[in-house]
Amino acid sequence: MNKFQDIELLSSYLDGQLSPSDSARLELRLKSDPELASALDDLRAARGILRKLPMRKAPRNFVLSRKMVGAKPPLPRTYSFFRFSTALATALLVFTFAINSLSRSASFSAGAPAFGYGGGGAGSSDVAAPQAFAAATQAPAATEAPAAQAPALELSASPTEISPSSADSARGIETAAAESANPKESATNSVPPGQAAAHNEPFVFSSMWQIVLVIVILLSASITFFISQSAKRKWR
Amino acid sequence: MDEYSLIQSAQRGDLDSFNSLILHYQDMVFNTALRILSDDDLAADATQEAFLSAFRSITSYRGGSFKAWLMRTVTNACYDELRRQKRKPTTPLEPEMDDGDEIDSPRWLADPNMTPSQQAEADELEHAIQHCLETLPTEFRSVVVLADIQGMDYSEVAMASRVPLGTIKSRLARARLRLRECLRGFEELLPSAFRLEEESRA
Repeated sequence: MNKFQDIELLSSYLDGQLSPSDSARLELRLKSDPELASALDDLRAARGILRKLPMRKAPRNFVLSRKMVGAKPPLPRTYSFFRFSTALATALLVFTFAINSLSRSASFSAGAPAFGYGGGGAGSSDVAAPQAFAAATQAPAATEAPAAQAPALELSASPTEISPSSADSARGIETAAAESANPKESATNSVPPGQAAAHNEPFVFSSMWQIVLVIVILLSASITFFISQSAKRKWR
Repeated sequence: MDEYSLIQSAQRGDLDSFNSLILHYQDMVFNTALRILSDDDLAADATQEAFLSAFRSITSYRGGSFKAWLMRTVTNACYDELRRQKRKPTTPLEPEMDDGDEIDSPRWLADPNMTPSQQAEADELEHAIQHCLETLPTEFRSVVVLADIQGMDYSEVAMASRVPLGTIKSRLARARLRLRECLRGFEELLPSAFRLEEESRA
C-alpha cells in the first residue's frame, strides 16, 4: 500500500472522517503494524500542538464605519415610488412638448396660413381668410372634419357665398390644401381669424396637461428629497 | 438577535448588524490571518480588508456555514497580502534585535494573565509552531490553520478554501506530517505538554 495513502487515511481517521467499516479495518492494521501506529502518533502530536496554540485577542476592534463602506442610508419603499413618478412625469412632459412642437411644424409645412396660432395670424387675416374658405371648399377632406369642429365651420361664411374674384386667388392654394394630410388641421386652419382665438387648439396636448405634469414633478421631487433627507437624519 | 437574523439584516445593508457579527468573529479572523501571515500588522490589515470585502459581498452569502464563508474572505485577503509581500518584501516577519537576530520571546506575544514561566513556555511553543507553519506552502498552511487551529470540519475548510474535500484531506495529512517533522527540531524548546506526548509514544 502506498505510504502517503496511509498517512491520508490516518489523518482522516484522527478527525473521525472515516466510515465505521474503514475505521475498523484501520484499527486492525494499527494493532499489527507498529510503523503505522507510530505515524498515527506523529500526526496526533502535530494536531495536538496546533490545538495548544493560544488564541490571540484582536489588537483592536475591526468594526466598519459608514464612511469606510461608503454606505448610503436605507430608504423606504415610498422613496423609489416617488422617484419613479418624478422621472415618469418628467418624461411625459418632455413627450408632450415634443408632440406639440411636431404637430405645430406639421401644420406649418402643410401650407397653413399664419393665423390660427395665438395672435400671430391677425395681421394677414384679410388676405388669407378668403383663400382659406376656398381651400375648405375645394378640399373634400375639410368636409370630413370631426364633429367637435363642426360649429366652427358653421359659424364661418358659407362656401357658396364666395365671390368669383376670390375664387381665382383661392386656386393658388388649392393644391397645398389638397396635400394636407390631416383633415382636422385643414379644418382648424380654415377657421376665420375672428374665431381662431376661441377655437385655437393646434396642439395635441393642451397646456392644462403640461401644468398638471409640472405640478406632479414638483410635488414628487419634493417628497423624494424630503424622504431622502429624513432618512439621512435618522441614519446619523 | 441570533446570527441568522444579523446576517439577514446585514444583507439588507444594516451596518450595525454586520458590526455585531464582526465583534463576534474578529478574534478568530485575526488569528487566522496572523497564522497565515506571521505578522501582526499585516494580519490586522488583512482582517480589516476581509471584513470590508465580506460586507460588500454579503448578498452573495446563500446559507451554509457563515464562519466558512467568512474564512474564505480572510484567506483570500491573506493570499492577496502574501502576493503583495512577494512583490515588495519590506518588513521582516519577526521582530529583530539590533544585530539582526530574531527575538525569541517578543513582547508582542505577551499575555498579562500568565506567570513568567507560563509565558515563556507559551512563547516558545508559539514561536516554534509559527516557524514551522511558515515553512509550509501557503495552501497547506491555510488548510492546517483552518482545520487544526480554528477547529473547522472538513466540509467547512473545503468551502472556505474552494477546493474539493479530497484535496483538503490530502493537504491536511501532508501539512501535519511536515509540521511534525519540523517540530522535531524544536524538541528542546517545546513545553512539557509536547514532551509528554513524546513520552507516551515511547
